[in-house]
Amino acid sequence: MAEGRRGPIDPRLIGRAVATRRYLTGGVVIGIATALLTVAQAWVLARAITAVFDAAPGFEYLTLMPGTGRWPDLGPVVALLGAIFAGKALLAWANTLLAQRAAASVKSQLRRDVVAARLARPLDDTPTAGLVTLVTVGLDALDGFYSKYLPQLLLAVTVPVIVGVAILTADLTSAIIVALTVPLIPVFMALVGWATEAHTQRRWATQQRLARHFADLVAGLPTLQVFGRARAQAIGLRKSEDAHRRQTMDTLRISFLSALVLELLATLSVAVVAVTVGFRVVHHDLDLATALFVLILAPEVYLPVRQVGVHYHDAAEGTAAAAEAFDLIDAASGVADRAREDAAPPRTPADLPRTPPDGGPLVRVADVAHTYPGASAPAVTGVSFEVGPGEFIALTGPSGGGKTTVLNALIGFLAPTSGVVSAPPRPAIAYVGQTPGMIAGTIADNVRLGAPSVTDAAVARALARAGAPDMDAARGVGDDGEGLSAGERRRVATARALVRIDAGAGLLLLDEPTAGLDADAEAVLLRSLRATGVAAIVVSHRPAVLAEADRVVTIGGAA
Amino acid sequence: MTGPLALVRRLLAATPHGWARVALAVTLAFGASAASVALMGVSGWLLSRAAEHPPVMYLTAAAVGVRAFGIGRGVFRYAERLVGHDVGLRVQSALRLETYETLAHTTLLGRRRGDLLTRVVADVGAVLDLVVRVLLPFASGLFVLLATTLILGAFSWPAALAILGTALIGGVAAPWLAAQLSARQDTAAVPERGALADVVHEIGRTAPDLVAYGADAAALERLAAADARLRDADARAAWTRGVATALQVLAAGAAVLAGLVLGAAAVRAGALERPMLAVLALTPLALHEVFADFTKSAQTWTRARAALARVTEILTEPPVGTGDRLGGDAPIAASGEPSLAVHDLCIGWPGAAPLASGLTFEVRAGERLAITGPSGVGKTTLAATVLGLIPPVAGEVRASGRIGYLAQDAHVFTTSLAENVKIGNKHATDEQVRDALARVRLDEEPGRLVGELGATLSGGEQRRLALARLVVGDYGVLVLDEPSEHLDPETASVLLDDIWASASGRPLLVITHDPEVIARCDRVVALGAT
Repeated sequence: MAEGRRGPIDPRLIGRAVATRRYLTGGVVIGIATALLTVAQAWVLARAITAVFDAAPGFEYLTLMPGTGRWPDLGPVVALLGAIFAGKALLAWANTLLAQRAAASVKSQLRRDVVAARLARPLDDTPTAGLVTLVTVGLDALDGFYSKYLPQLLLAVTVPVIVGVAILTADLTSAIIVALTVPLIPVFMALVGWATEAHTQRRWATQQRLARHFADLVAGLPTLQVFGRARAQAIGLRKSEDAHRRQTMDTLRISFLSALVLELLATLSVAVVAVTVGFRVVHHDLDLATALFVLILAPEVYLPVRQVGVHYHDAAEGTAAAAEAFDLIDAASGVADRAREDAAPPRTPADLPRTPPDGGPLVRVADVAHTYPGASAPAVTGVSFEVGPGEFIALTGPSGGGKTTVLNALIGFLAPTSGVVSAPPRPAIAYVGQTPGMIAGTIADNVRLGAPSVTDAAVARALARAGAPDMDAARGVGDDGEGLSAGERRRVATARALVRIDAGAGLLLLDEPTAGLDADAEAVLLRSLRATGVAAIVVSHRPAVLAEADRVVTIGGAA
Repeated sequence: MTGPLALVRRLLAATPHGWARVALAVTLAFGASAASVALMGVSGWLLSRAAEHPPVMYLTAAAVGVRAFGIGRGVFRYAERLVGHDVGLRVQSALRLETYETLAHTTLLGRRRGDLLTRVVADVGAVLDLVVRVLLPFASGLFVLLATTLILGAFSWPAALAILGTALIGGVAAPWLAAQLSARQDTAAVPERGALADVVHEIGRTAPDLVAYGADAAALERLAAADARLRDADARAAWTRGVATALQVLAAGAAVLAGLVLGAAAVRAGALERPMLAVLALTPLALHEVFADFTKSAQTWTRARAALARVTEILTEPPVGTGDRLGGDAPIAASGEPSLAVHDLCIGWPGAAPLASGLTFEVRAGERLAITGPSGVGKTTLAATVLGLIPPVAGEVRASGRIGYLAQDAHVFTTSLAENVKIGNKHATDEQVRDALARVRLDEEPGRLVGELGATLSGGEQRRLALARLVVGDYGVLVLDEPSEHLDPETASVLLDDIWASASGRPLLVITHDPEVIARCDRVVALGAT
């Protein structure tokens, strides 16, 4: 079912096919070999049938005549045909393998690119469940395009030529019929597609909405039940199901037309070839062996073209997943963040100076403003401040005022729309986000994300300084930090930042590090942070934090 | 019998003219496939007979037949696709309605069945595939095979039986083998898929930390390793698929050879007229092409069977609770101040062990009571019991005024904002909807489309929309389920201010584990602590 104006095949899919070049070449070689075997098969079969036919007694005009009586030895024929079919079977098997490899190579590359794109935009709030579905099963929908449609497209160009030439060597008239009808197929399909596209498009939106209605209602069932409205919706569902079926059938009536044209042209052409050849045999213009040869080969010319039509729907099925993947990748390639510059030379925090060489401020934020894509108003405007080495700065301000946006600009997760941000490179920063991420493993594994080679003793010390002296570093952490409370997660993340400071990082960035902590734990944590002696920028509205700070910078509102 | 075929049979019986439509579709599909087989067979006879140089009129009938088969195949196929899809869609609709009705009659709140609900939608869709891609092709293919065997059998029984045998290998055994093997390999690849999903999940949830600490490259390495293992598993599956395809090619070859050799023997013995030899040798070529897509159909069958087994499981599961809230739609005349009290309440899911017992508390107008406790202790079960969605195991719930429930994951339907709000009160006027939206500070046009196909709402906005449903429904008692969950602290804090303001003077029961929310409540009841 054709939907978009560009047609259902995303052009970006073709671009990715470069990775499958080797497999596609292999597929074409197999296709050509199969076509040659098919020609050989037709020739042997036609000869064998004719030889038996000539040997047998039968009517000649309306008179019963004895045959030549020279019965052919079918042994070699059987051996030859057996070998040909075995060869075709082997090629079919190899083709399946190649097709899988082709799709797998593209899928692997896309998986990597999609996940790399996610990492290039760490703030992207696309739900993780959707990402997991896309990367695991979603991309499987591309199999149809890379393992079937694309190879078939190449076969549709090569095989008819080979088989057509074979027919040409046997019989010019049949070759002309084939040569005239094969190109008609894509032309007529394009015409039908062009004539029906507007019609199909008009219906598409309604059809999609109706198709979604069931899914929407089922997903919303718990909500409907709470309001006592679930059963009443069944009447509406019945109506929308009827409407959906009618709309879908209207669309299908149109979109199956192109398949009808395809089948009609292909089969009718074979019929025309058969009848034409038949009458020429009657008139002694053609011998039986040649006629049978042409008849066996004629469908083989149209088969690859027809298969393109069959696989077209397989290809279109993957379009949604592909579009989702490509959109994620494209969105990330537009991010001109500092990540790339930083990622290039692998540096350890120890190699980096804690103070800027020229003695200026460590962090400078000058007249920074940022508007998120699609937002009508800027999230933050006119923010300026400087932080010297060892300074402890609190960022505060009303909710939604843009404090976290400033912090994200400092670590390079986003590039502000205007203004200047200068901060140490990422390896020199220790960072604790609002909801710190936990990797599966142990608490120690999570702390060591800050500095991979620290000792067990150093991990335990860091946990104590983060306000969790009793935490067992060997304790397991499940997916999503399962087994840790929100407060424990923050403390593990703080310990992670502390080991990074010990390893030589010169700037701490913390987003609400004391949320959910009681006053005592908050005091321990603040003391540890000060004791590191490095510059710190802390987002918080807690009075204890503001009191501890050397300076308080208010962002948004009364700036 | 409870297999997928029994399900389809039942659904067809419930569909107007269901069986007649299927019969028509099978007949048309038979016509299409038979036309392509007959085209080859009759053409072969036409050429052979032509080689005997009879008067042209002796060939006219065959020539007309060949042309008719040439047209018939395309036309029959087009009609079959339409009739087949129509009946498939009707069966799918019937199953959707039945599934919806069944689910609507069982209480879903608090049963952690979000995954089930998303999966069942896709699973129900499998019935369309089953009808269109499996049942119709197989049924019509079988008839074509029988017809071919009978017709060829009239000329040469040995050849017809040999062709039947090879057709069973190519059309039934090879697809069946492929489906078996690929199902086994799908199962074997489950751990590989799971490992890949775990890696992606972890990266998705920890991206800022991985990037901030320079661990992103290592994460991509882990992804590549998991991907490589899955790729190996897929390659093994392709290997067996390839074997099945090769088997089909060999079966077709064997059929052609059988037709040729047995046909030639019959001609030589004088048992068969010589023009029939081409028919016996060429018909198998077209016949086996009918089976070409059966491997794919067999795999569809395996998948559809698994999906429909899951649907059947849902359909046959005894209902839990009431499903819909009883009288949820009718306003209850509130006598005096709204309040909520539970006395010696024991809660639990029917058929399962009780989760908590001996609960006694009262929430008066203007009071806020926090219900806390570790996850799995039955906090949402308590909500379902208080709402009357499931009966208490023991004890009683007394409420004065309608009880409204603010879910942490209330669904946003794909429709206008106003229709979404009206879930709370279907009789609400435009004025009331506008007023409710203003009161929850959701500053949007009521006519704006939201949900899947409209603009998406942020987490905070979704919570506000859910709150607007309670405002427009004028609920006297409010039960809040983890109101700050999945929201960042600032958004949560502003939202709680607004909920507290809009619910002032009403009893509030707040299920939470968030210390910030607990701090805003007057009293705390810890579940699981007793």
